[in-house]
Amino acid sequence: MPEIRVTPLGAGQDVGRSCILVSIAGKNVMLDCGMHMGFNDDRRFPDFSYITQNGRLTDFLDCVIISHFHLDHCGALPYFSEMVGYDGPIYMTHPTQAICPILLEDYRKIAVDKKGEANFFTSQMIKDCMKKVVAVHLHQTVQVDDELEIKAYYAGHVLGAAMFQIKVGSESVVYTGDYNMTPDRHLGAAWIDKCRPNLLITESTYATTIRDSKRCRERDFLKKVHETVERGGKVLIPVFALGRAQELCILLETFWERMNLKVPIYFSTGLTEKANHYYKLFIPWTNQKIRKTFVQRNMFEFKHIKAFDRAFADNPGPMVVFATPGMLHAGQSLQIFRKWAGNEKNMVIMPGYCVQGTVGHKILSGQRKLEMEGRQVVSPDPVLGWQGRGAPPGGNRCPHPVASAAGGQDAGGVHVIQRTRGRQGHHAAGGPGRAGERAAGAWRGQEDGVPEAEDRAGAPGQLLHAGQWRDGDAAHEPQHPRRHLTGTAEAGNGAGAAPRGQEASAPARHPDHEGQRECRDSLWRGETKDGNFRLVSSEQALKELGLAEHQLRFTCRVHLHDTRKEQEMALRVYSHLKSVLKDHCVQHLPDGSVTVESILIQAAAPSEDPGTKVLLVSWTYQDEELGSFLTSLLKKGLPQAPS
Amino acid sequence: MDPEEDWLVESLRLYQDFYAFDLSGATRVLEWIDDKGVFVAGYESLKKNEILHLKLPLRLSVKENKGLFPERDFKVRHGGFSDRSIFDLKHVPHTRLLVTSGLPGCYLQVWQVAEDSDVIKAVSTIGVHEKEESLWPRVAVFTSMAPRVLHGARLRSLQVIDLESRKTTYTSDVSDSEELSSLQVLDADTFAFCCASGRLGLVDTRQKWAPLENRSPGPGSGGERWCAEVGSRGQGPGPSIASLGSDGHLCLLDPRDLCHPVSSVQCPVSIPSPDPELLRVTWAPSLKNCLAISGFDGTVQVYDATSWNGTQSQVEPLFTHRGHVFLDGSGTDPAPLVTTHTWHPCRPRTLLSATNDASLHVWDWVDLCAPC
Repeated sequence: MPEIRVTPLGAGQDVGRSCILVSIAGKNVMLDCGMHMGFNDDRRFPDFSYITQNGRLTDFLDCVIISHFHLDHCGALPYFSEMVGYDGPIYMTHPTQAICPILLEDYRKIAVDKKGEANFFTSQMIKDCMKKVVAVHLHQTVQVDDELEIKAYYAGHVLGAAMFQIKVGSESVVYTGDYNMTPDRHLGAAWIDKCRPNLLITESTYATTIRDSKRCRERDFLKKVHETVERGGKVLIPVFALGRAQELCILLETFWERMNLKVPIYFSTGLTEKANHYYKLFIPWTNQKIRKTFVQRNMFEFKHIKAFDRAFADNPGPMVVFATPGMLHAGQSLQIFRKWAGNEKNMVIMPGYCVQGTVGHKILSGQRKLEMEGRQVVSPDPVLGWQGRGAPPGGNRCPHPVASAAGGQDAGGVHVIQRTRGRQGHHAAGGPGRAGERAAGAWRGQEDGVPEAEDRAGAPGQLLHAGQWRDGDAAHEPQHPRRHLTGTAEAGNGAGAAPRGQEASAPARHPDHEGQRECRDSLWRGETKDGNFRLVSSEQALKELGLAEHQLRFTCRVHLHDTRKEQEMALRVYSHLKSVLKDHCVQHLPDGSVTVESILIQAAAPSEDPGTKVLLVSWTYQDEELGSFLTSLLKKGLPQAPS
Repeated sequence: MDPEEDWLVESLRLYQDFYAFDLSGATRVLEWIDDKGVFVAGYESLKKNEILHLKLPLRLSVKENKGLFPERDFKVRHGGFSDRSIFDLKHVPHTRLLVTSGLPGCYLQVWQVAEDSDVIKAVSTIGVHEKEESLWPRVAVFTSMAPRVLHGARLRSLQVIDLESRKTTYTSDVSDSEELSSLQVLDADTFAFCCASGRLGLVDTRQKWAPLENRSPGPGSGGERWCAEVGSRGQGPGPSIASLGSDGHLCLLDPRDLCHPVSSVQCPVSIPSPDPELLRVTWAPSLKNCLAISGFDGTVQVYDATSWNGTQSQVEPLFTHRGHVFLDGSGTDPAPLVTTHTWHPCRPRTLLSATNDASLHVWDWVDLCAPC
């Protein structure tokens, strides 16, 4: 039996700098690449010299997988990829990809600007590092190469956190990262397919701890906040932009509503915009309760929580303020702290980890007098250190493998109906088979309003696919006539048949990733019985409606006049695309093909004419915008001079 | 409205502090070791059970600067495995030994809590007189220079064994086959017993078997099952023995006259108890005349017996802990049942309670009747 080798470079018997090397049937994978928050010197990064003594890391490692955005899992990534040197793929989920760079930049700022550290990664390095990222979806089997495949599973814990199954042939390893077995206020519980990995690598931070339930910790928090405002005091809660803040906001909002409290709660503006934006964006990653209420009321839009203004800190009377940064080392939270610290009626609650040297850390160590800018300040009493890091209550439980609940996905017709905001943009992608026709036909029959799909249970339901969420207005929606596929689209690997109208309507503009985000994992479903909408996962909606999901892949041939060999041509394509598509992950695979995100480009030489080459461009339906852009770009030919 | 949420909000007013834990297995045992740790043990019949030594959350131990201690969790200090279910566990004071009893009830197990590792290891057994398969012997420990273990499933099989020499130092020497429900050591020479029938007795081991007892069964017997607990001397004058019956009867007795209870009340509980073996009555170590009872449902009730006199039909609890019903039991079928409870040795209003669905609560209730 092939050997599986595990080498922890961090977090082996410690919490911090998670980084585990797994060697499975000759493939080498790095799981997480974190920073140790307890050290200020080289010990904060894993020692990468253990990986290989000779040869480049890019050649040795087949891929790097990042489980979630906490710095003890991704904090060393830019250092690793840009300063040590690694150019291979880095896999993570979409929310992780979106949020990682923010946390990395925030931390970089503290380290370099605040603490004057040298030998730290730069902002540009963070950007360059993120270019190597390939984002993955949950339950999507990703072929890293011919033999190695990975698959992400929902882990709870924080937004976008995933557990990964790594498979090479019949050998497999499951890595949990950090996970929760019980759902919390805004995230669900970890879940994995029934499987029998050869090896399970699980976090065990709380293995010998029996954790107090989250409810009780929340209760404690509420009690302290309530007691403070009842006696007229002010509560300062320094938070990181992402993570605990959202949970606490929901908690306070619910409590304020229930108790009919009028004391103002404020959120410093930086938080509102950045963080809630991501939570709204990645709504499918939240738990059922939030999704259920989301349609009626956006849980991240608060009734009792308002944007903070500096001037409010001087207002008399009780209030609660969430302010960044979380360690009280600079900025707004520190300013407010200075103002309020002297009054014994006030309270500061520290929900997160504080790095040594910050004011937050000093307070948590019990220091009552702090020197700040030459003036002594007395910290408010009491200070509540609140350990809120989500971990399973009842620590020694492993995720129970559960038989896959989702229905099988087989190739065949497609039923998905897209709906975006605004009236126009009813994009329907139908497919062969009656389901597709029915859906497409139903859509065609309606101008506005939502097409109806029949529910096996009898009650008509409305099916909407939140396939592409646009932040802007409807004007940005590209109109692609080719999307109006009906029963004529070829299912499966789309060999040959180019979508209709593709050439005429290919967008000239570069697909803009800023304006849109994909929300593939969710479907809106309405129950007309009680008039309520709810957000469910695609799989669930399919199951309830008795429809099967199908994958659409398009292929296009681009004929180019070129006398070079295929391999050279592929290399030219690669360099060309890499220079044009700076924001995308462009890779040149060992077999000569070029990938751009999920799009595959292969060069072939038709035997009849040596002067002509054919580029086979293939993309999934979800990437059609980029695919069509690439095709038109390639049609213009490759630059003559080497890029 | 979510009943769980409602109760949690309500709990802000009712409890100073409240902790809820999920053990990996339900326990019927909550045994203190100093005032910082407790032992819990599983009682499942067909699988291995864990014995765990849990260290209390720091917040429950520190007196100052409580706010700076975020840790609200139990830490597992030691653990061991038992092939049998464990219904009783006693720590032998001043040693690292434990004695457990369970089914099958033919022997007691002695364990050692390791000093240099986290293992609780089975070291020896203590044979019992009667090889009863379905009855398990009750256990109590005499603390003295040489620790002795008191055990027995029936009156006639009561024995005291010196733990070191394994010599029997005392026997009941009677032929009475009455089933025992509780045994309690009172001091170096005396112990109390309570039979399932309600028969109570105080025994001085310096004499041959001649217990002070109430021959007559407790009031309202006839199938009712009883347990009892003797309060510590620090209680002051007045009744110091509490006897609880499965029909909700609670009697207070003075040791000088076991035949005539000082007071006898009916507790407002759902009767009869679904599992009378789980009945438990305890005296508060730091509150005068305060008792707690459990074993009828998912609640623990605290009573103030100061004003009880004679026979009272109904009394109202000073406090009822409903956390197990709302937090863990909401929606689950069947409703949880409290298996055991205990008072914190130092903190006056702090209790620990456990249920058959593996939850463990630590709660510090607010005396709403007390003057602020």
